[in-house]
Amino acid sequence: MESLEVSAKTVNEAIQQALATLGKNREEVDISILSEGSRGILGIGSEDARILVSVRAPAEEQAETGKAAPVARDVASVAKEVLEKLMASLRIQGRVNVITSSASPASDGSDITLDIEGGDLGVLIGRRGENLSSLQFILNLIVSKQLHKRTRVTVDVSGYRVRRQEMLKGLALRMAERVQTTRQPIALEAMPAYERRIIHIALSQHPGATTQSIGEGEDRKVVIVPRK
Amino acid sequence: MKDLIEYIAKSLVDSPNDVHIRQIEGEQSVILELRVAPDDMGKVIGKQGRVAKAMRTLLKIAAAREGRRVILEIA
Repeated sequence: MESLEVSAKTVNEAIQQALATLGKNREEVDISILSEGSRGILGIGSEDARILVSVRAPAEEQAETGKAAPVARDVASVAKEVLEKLMASLRIQGRVNVITSSASPASDGSDITLDIEGGDLGVLIGRRGENLSSLQFILNLIVSKQLHKRTRVTVDVSGYRVRRQEMLKGLALRMAERVQTTRQPIALEAMPAYERRIIHIALSQHPGATTQSIGEGEDRKVVIVPRK
Repeated sequence: MKDLIEYIAKSLVDSPNDVHIRQIEGEQSVILELRVAPDDMGKVIGKQGRVAKAMRTLLKIAAAREGRRVILEIA
């Protein structure tokens, strides 16, 4: 029997994701909740909800209706198709690997990552990952439209997001240490929301420093301040 | 470059048949003029222009590969 473990912000979201991944209706699966999850504050210290979804044997249902269920197109394959289409229009060559489930290290809460591998891919990342963000944003809009539901697929380039995440964590910890000894706040360079989130989370338990965000829009940045 | 915007716009709107793109060639730059059904304007612009901005960012990648400048106008 096909089954899948999914984690997401809320139980509901996890169920939606699982159904999307499996391409099944709510009636076609059994769901057991492994963890309810908790909200935390501003996404900090939150714990994801985890569920286990098993597909029921498609016994009488199909015989009843007399017609085969429409071929459900799952999020991962639709997303891969759309990404390949976009890359072709951008004249960018590369291979798209689908990484599913919570095993994908770069995922920022979503459970599907499309990792693009190949030669000249720096152009896909752009300054501060701007191109990659745009690509991911447009991709999710198109996939959401096609499947009539909201999707959150992560797009990565040769593990860039993973490496960047590790780099940011390291930076956060080094700067926090400095703040702790000098008792002077340090402002980091401006970053997009999901990168600031990585910093906030990395320092949420830090004994000597805490974080705030200042500035608006593109210029919004994290400031690390000494804890009182 | 035109095909990129065409694909994205047609994928996002409710009336793909009303998506029209005119390509106006300049010396070093190209202007792409995107027209969609009035009801679909919001879909290609997005909240605070997010969709339009993302399309322009992707367009810049495509343009750079051809060594040209591209301007996207949504009319």
